[in-house]
Amino acid sequence: MRIVARRLGLYLLTAWVAVTANFILPRLMPGNPVQTLIGKITSQVTPAEIRAIRLSFGLGFKEGLVAQYFTYLGQLFHGNLGVSITLGAPVSSILRESVPWTIGLIGISTVVSFVVGTVAGAMLGWTRGSRFDSLIPTATFFQAVPYFFLGTVMLLVFGSNLHWFPVLGAYSQGATPGWNWSFVASVIRYGELPVISIILSSVAGWMLGMRNMMITMVGEDFVLMAVAKGLPRRKVIMHAARNAVLPSIANLSLAIGLVVSGALLVELVFNYPGVGDLLLQAVLNEDYPLIQGIFLVITLTVLAANLIADVVYLVLDPRTRSEAAV
Amino acid sequence: MRGLALPRSPKVILGLGILGFFIVMTVIGPWLAPYDPSSTAFTALLTPSSHHWLGTTSLGQDIFSQLLVGARATMVVALVAGLVATLLSMIIGISAGYLGGVPDDGLTLLSNVFLAIPGVPLLIVIDSYLPVNSRSNEFVIGLIISLTGWAWGARVLRAQTMSLRNRDFVEAARIIGESRRRIMFSEIAPNLLPVLASSLLFTVLYSIGAYVTLAYIGLTSTATWNWGTMLYWAQANNAPLSNEWYWFVPPGICIALVGTGLALVNFGIDEFINPRLRAAGLTARQRRQLHLPRRARLGLTPVLSATPAPRPRPTNAVAK
Amino acid sequence: MSATIPREHEPTALDDGVTASTGAARGVARREPVLEIDHFSVDYGVGENMVRAVSDVTLRLERSRVLGIAGESGSGKSTLVYAMTRLLRSPGLISGGEVTLHVTDEAGTVTPVNLVSATESELRKVRWSHVSIVLQSALSALNPVLRIGREFDEVLKTHRRHLTKAQRRARAVELLRMVGLNEDRLDRYPHELSGGQRQRVMIAVALALDPELVIMDEPTTALDVVTQREIISELGALRAQFGFAMIFITHDLSLLVELADEIAVMYAGSIVERAGARELYEAPRHPYTLGLLHSFPPLHGERRELTGIPGTPPDLADPPTGCSFAPRCAFAMDRCANDKPSLVEVGDTGRSVACWLFDDASGSRVPVALSRVPSRAATTKGET
Repeated sequence: MRIVARRLGLYLLTAWVAVTANFILPRLMPGNPVQTLIGKITSQVTPAEIRAIRLSFGLGFKEGLVAQYFTYLGQLFHGNLGVSITLGAPVSSILRESVPWTIGLIGISTVVSFVVGTVAGAMLGWTRGSRFDSLIPTATFFQAVPYFFLGTVMLLVFGSNLHWFPVLGAYSQGATPGWNWSFVASVIRYGELPVISIILSSVAGWMLGMRNMMITMVGEDFVLMAVAKGLPRRKVIMHAARNAVLPSIANLSLAIGLVVSGALLVELVFNYPGVGDLLLQAVLNEDYPLIQGIFLVITLTVLAANLIADVVYLVLDPRTRSEAAV
Repeated sequence: MRGLALPRSPKVILGLGILGFFIVMTVIGPWLAPYDPSSTAFTALLTPSSHHWLGTTSLGQDIFSQLLVGARATMVVALVAGLVATLLSMIIGISAGYLGGVPDDGLTLLSNVFLAIPGVPLLIVIDSYLPVNSRSNEFVIGLIISLTGWAWGARVLRAQTMSLRNRDFVEAARIIGESRRRIMFSEIAPNLLPVLASSLLFTVLYSIGAYVTLAYIGLTSTATWNWGTMLYWAQANNAPLSNEWYWFVPPGICIALVGTGLALVNFGIDEFINPRLRAAGLTARQRRQLHLPRRARLGLTPVLSATPAPRPRPTNAVAK
Repeated sequence: MSATIPREHEPTALDDGVTASTGAARGVARREPVLEIDHFSVDYGVGENMVRAVSDVTLRLERSRVLGIAGESGSGKSTLVYAMTRLLRSPGLISGGEVTLHVTDEAGTVTPVNLVSATESELRKVRWSHVSIVLQSALSALNPVLRIGREFDEVLKTHRRHLTKAQRRARAVELLRMVGLNEDRLDRYPHELSGGQRQRVMIAVALALDPELVIMDEPTTALDVVTQREIISELGALRAQFGFAMIFITHDLSLLVELADEIAVMYAGSIVERAGARELYEAPRHPYTLGLLHSFPPLHGERRELTGIPGTPPDLADPPTGCSFAPRCAFAMDRCANDKPSLVEVGDTGRSVACWLFDDASGSRVPVALSRVPSRAATTKGET
């Protein structure tokens, strides 16, 4: 448990760094974009909302930097992420709309991709030297393709040419959002192609990493001993795989960030109403409150995912459990 | 001090070949380009032909020229970012691993924080605040990318340094009174060459992805040609949905190929660092010739010559 | 001269001690072989890069006996046992010979199994039930993420299907007690045990299915001397109790003298001398054996001067034409550089040696150091 506490501490610190970066960045840039931003605000935003934006940047009153910082933290703590200048609504409520889509899309595809990639990698590592090895260059290529490019190609080939999948959006225009069957079915149907795109882009990474670890583990004495014990092949493979998967889970922290970054752009390709699509709009319109809000939400989600990965690792590796350090 | 002799496997040779091709393209691409990539002098949306190998954009620009010219910015950013990030990770990782104690705790915490923050979203925030003239500067973009990409390498290098810290040659250098900096960067660093090379490949790979992503969502100057901006313009003009594959497929394939090249070379480095990954002993051809199974199987040591000739009973067995 | 050793010094007398009685307890005639290795050769790689790691080894091990295999690292002693159990990793391959394991089933019927031609499923049936292995490093031989109990459980589950979970657990506790460990160790992970405890666990797991043959690959090398001593004596007691045959591999000859009935000394992939343990220790015949004896202090008994062996083992990729030990041998003759001696019996004592010094036809004089007669104590070793 001490380790979980340590990791939690690290993530809280990381969250604080992200929050502080949001405060400092606008002030570092030449010409102070916040002032420019507020100057740009058009009439569709009410004076109360302008005040909310100013507060969310810590610019409530004429105070020093430290006081501004605490104003900013206080506002953040109360959920005031400012008001989107283009959408004219509070950033927090906009995010509440789009975050579930993103978590659903990226969560499902990441879990599927991790499981499929790990199993495939374990088999590739075990059967090393077999004809399956010819998969490796292809997998390497898929690992290197940018997510959004693969998504675009998938959209073009299977969506607009072959019409195998519906494209653009998260559900059909006819369906009424809510817990009804036609809506859920439509969401699943519209989610297929984006999910497949994200899996195709990310699965190779898990697979190749697992293959390397599996080969390393098969070289270990305890795997040879499993053979010497006359265990069935399935059990021998499990001995190796059980240990080989540990580094994959330990590396999740790096990988989750990369997968999320890539997957956000897939939303954009498919016009999926998640955070990624929102981010593009915000960037194009220089909607700073929205950009910052999205960054914070993504960071916090990734940190939460990291914490889950840490706990899983702890459950799987008894050595870390007993070593108080690290 | 170990050199870095890459195993000569087909994978590594293919990878080096691909990288070599794109490096040449980076250097001479802009001179080879048949037209000015920004010139709108041609008919819009021509399909590929002998005049325009990859057709033209909706503004009538030559796509092939854009691809050749765009290689330079893409590769330069990736290389600058990769080199700076690797340098950062080397300084931070080796210092943390060698010095230990409080500096180690601080530096490790720093890299863990940077590891946990998702890099590309952070980049987007930073970049969105940059003035437009900085966004079009490859070096500025490269530096910012390197800021988000050094942490992984630092972690790996720290671990490797700690395993070297108490080796004899380091001990010896300490005893003869060499300075810490000299020990870290003249004694330890050369022994980390394979890890450094691997970390360089990874950060270059990351940097290409990050740069192209930034360009694709319009956060680099749209006036500088790189493969990401080509995709940006293609997307902005609905090229994918209009079946104008020749517009967006070539830059995408180029990005993927550079990445594949980097990853293939990294296979070689992995095999250098971890000997178990090397293909052991027999080649596929030798196995065929000897009628051995196609792959080595654990717990089934192969036997040469399927039918061993009967031999006379031993005359000198253990004491009777 | 070796030929003058009287017949009564042959170590048959010691067989009437411990081993004979246990052999009888098992209902197995003592002289039956458990393992026969016949002109067995092992290579690493093929073609230009081929290295012959084991060349033309012939050995025979009888039930309930202990064969010690000694040699420096790289002598091929480990390669021999891994290859013979078909556990040797790529690029190792068996290039000739046969290995026969005589397997006794529950009804007491003995069936010879040719391990060299056995299929994977045949091997799986033989493994652990009839031949088990203990490795040098128990830490790496135990799966780091599994509790000790699982090591026993999975072996019993695979090979003794009729046992219930509770019975398997009871058997594991019994096995742990046999090696002097408390049953609470079952719920521990390998990293929570000491080196000696881990090695005891490995020994207990190796005995779980009551195999006819246990292979010990330097099981005590990684341990401190005190633990090493304890484990060796425990092994002796366990063997007396259960009557398994054992192959014990080590580079430390003095350790083998305590434990082994016979010792085979390997050098550069071949057996250079084989003899009863005490005889070999008291009166080595091969110059290399003599050198090995001078490389380690004896566990107890008279001290020897430690001189070691000058030089290094030959490069097996480019072996010398004649005797492979000739370049390091103090007694080398002209002939040694050109002709490779084969393993022949010396006198009628049942010991054999591969050295031209003992070739009657060559008329060479055997050096004094290699012609000592073993003391009478040799014959009473079984009681120590």
